[in-house]
Amino acid sequence: MMESIGTNAAAIEVLLVEDSPGDVRLTREAFKDAKVHINLHVASDGAEAMAFLGHEGKHLNSPRPDLILLDLNLPKKDGRQVLQEIKESSTLKSIPVVILTTSASEADILRSYLLHANCFITKPVDLSGFLNVVKSIDNFWLSVVKLPRETR
Amino acid sequence: MCQSYIYGMNREQFCDLERGSSEVSVMTTNASSTAVDALRDCEEKYRMLLDEVQDYAIFMLDPQGMVISWNAGAERIKGYRGEQIIGHNFSCFFPPEDIKRGRPEEVLRMASANGRHEYQGMRVRKDGSRFLASIIFIAMRDPVGNLRGFSEISRDLSESKESGAKYRGLLEAAPDAMVVVNQSGEIALLNLQAEKQFGYRRDELVGQKVKNIIPEGFAERLVADGTRTAAEALAQHMGTGIELNGRRKDGSQFPIEIMLSPLESAEGILVTAAIRNITERKQSEGHLLKTMVELKRSNDELQQFAYVASHDLQEPLRMVASYTQLLAQRYKGRLDSDADEFITYAVDGSNRMQGLIKDLLAYSRVGTNGKALHEISSENSLKEALTNLRATIEESSAVVTHDLLPAITMDETQLVQLFQNLVGNAIKYRSSEVPHVHVSAAKNGGKEWIFSVRDNGMGIDPQYFERIFIIFQRLHGREEFKGTGIGLAICKKIVERVGGRIWVESKPEKGSTFCFALPGSDGK
Repeated sequence: MMESIGTNAAAIEVLLVEDSPGDVRLTREAFKDAKVHINLHVASDGAEAMAFLGHEGKHLNSPRPDLILLDLNLPKKDGRQVLQEIKESSTLKSIPVVILTTSASEADILRSYLLHANCFITKPVDLSGFLNVVKSIDNFWLSVVKLPRETR
Repeated sequence: MCQSYIYGMNREQFCDLERGSSEVSVMTTNASSTAVDALRDCEEKYRMLLDEVQDYAIFMLDPQGMVISWNAGAERIKGYRGEQIIGHNFSCFFPPEDIKRGRPEEVLRMASANGRHEYQGMRVRKDGSRFLASIIFIAMRDPVGNLRGFSEISRDLSESKESGAKYRGLLEAAPDAMVVVNQSGEIALLNLQAEKQFGYRRDELVGQKVKNIIPEGFAERLVADGTRTAAEALAQHMGTGIELNGRRKDGSQFPIEIMLSPLESAEGILVTAAIRNITERKQSEGHLLKTMVELKRSNDELQQFAYVASHDLQEPLRMVASYTQLLAQRYKGRLDSDADEFITYAVDGSNRMQGLIKDLLAYSRVGTNGKALHEISSENSLKEALTNLRATIEESSAVVTHDLLPAITMDETQLVQLFQNLVGNAIKYRSSEVPHVHVSAAKNGGKEWIFSVRDNGMGIDPQYFERIFIIFQRLHGREEFKGTGIGLAICKKIVERVGGRIWVESKPEKGSTFCFALPGSDGK
């Protein structure tokens, strides 16, 4: 599944790697109130995420994301593998990667940071918590933080 | 011949007469006839004396091994009367296999070379039966050193007073198979249990190599144990012996446990082997091990199941809860009142389910996420718990006090949770009074620390003392008190994980005291 919303040139490009349509919709609902205009691109598995980032196949004209929201447990290519490939790539590693997962395991947290994840967030189980987290991502990563200029 | 005979006996047994015996040789050559008569008389007395000896076979051989004298003991022990055996070669006292390998000639050769030869060996009676004997051969030489013959003094070890009657009585009373083995590895004595266990008759085993019934390991053990003192051997108990295999007459094998102890006897060091058939023990050990492995597997599986179930249930439930909540937020008051009510129940149900799953996960994590035990300050753990409870304490104006608390060996995170749950409960289930909670610890018989968390709350009816520790059991409606009923179940699991106990002492409206004992966890 691949979709993009909005095509504003000044917009911030966010790649959400998430296999649950329910979570995709919730994330999109939460970003609705975002302060900046966001183009949310969605890859529903790890392989598609890598294709998007590599401009392969139908993603030939895909933009380079400013921020990646990555789930860990994904079909085809696992989120941990995706993280490793991004951080080993000289062209992709400057893109901040936010791990957004249901996992709260110490092992996953440690491993993600060892693979240079930029932060690790466990999805809150209740709606308001989840909405708050997405709002926080918006506030911090898309407003407070200075992101690098595109270095393709 | 009699002179020499007496001479031999003097050397061995009647050393105070040795002086006399050398006088004999002098006197027989140049003494007066009265002196010779006196000597003859003396010799006669000794011969009569020896003839009457019952416990020892004492007889003489010529240099070729022909029997030339015989006493009453020899007749009794070997079963030949004097006239039946005198003039026959002594090799008939040996078992055929010993004759075959030239043993009779060998012992005479050794006695001749060394003056005497002493050993333990199997002997054969007239009726063909065998017995273990202690045997001394003494070479008899005339004053100029010519070999005149040999005297043999032997004793039936199986009937000797020390290792015989009394010892045999003891052997028979033993519940285990008992086998006494000599230094050559031959069975000298055995009890009825040994006959039963190995399926032999007693006379089939006496004189046989112990290797025939314990094929491997026994000899090695014998050597190893040979260096032990009797005290060391005694210090070892049944149940710590070496495990070997025994072989029955029919060739079948069975597991045995064997204990050896040296037995110093007049015949030299014998080894007593207590042999226990451990077939049943092996079977029940095997069964127990299997059961334990099975129990552990099923426990692990259950643990894993609780974790996986609650973890994997959480994901779809999160969708249900999130979207019913979204529905409530966006559409409350925009549909009809029925829709509002339905949505309220859906939201409430999914919230409660989330609470249960979260608690179930927490409960199963007590087992899976438990850390190693370290020596920690229980007082620090309580302080950390109180910090976590700060909001609750301030809100209720509760007063929490404590005595000096000890250093103990425990999983710190879990002890904090334990205190937090117990103090939290003490405040939550308060009476109309301002909550007062006191935490103390006391040693019980020097072994375990008993911690108490005492409150002035509403108290608990004794009929619920057990039930409150069961997972998701609650004494109050959801409207009265929030919660799923996991707190005390987690406390119980934390305490039991380290082998402790938890219980409550209480009367309704008189407050409650929750106690937990942590065994062997004393730091100081």
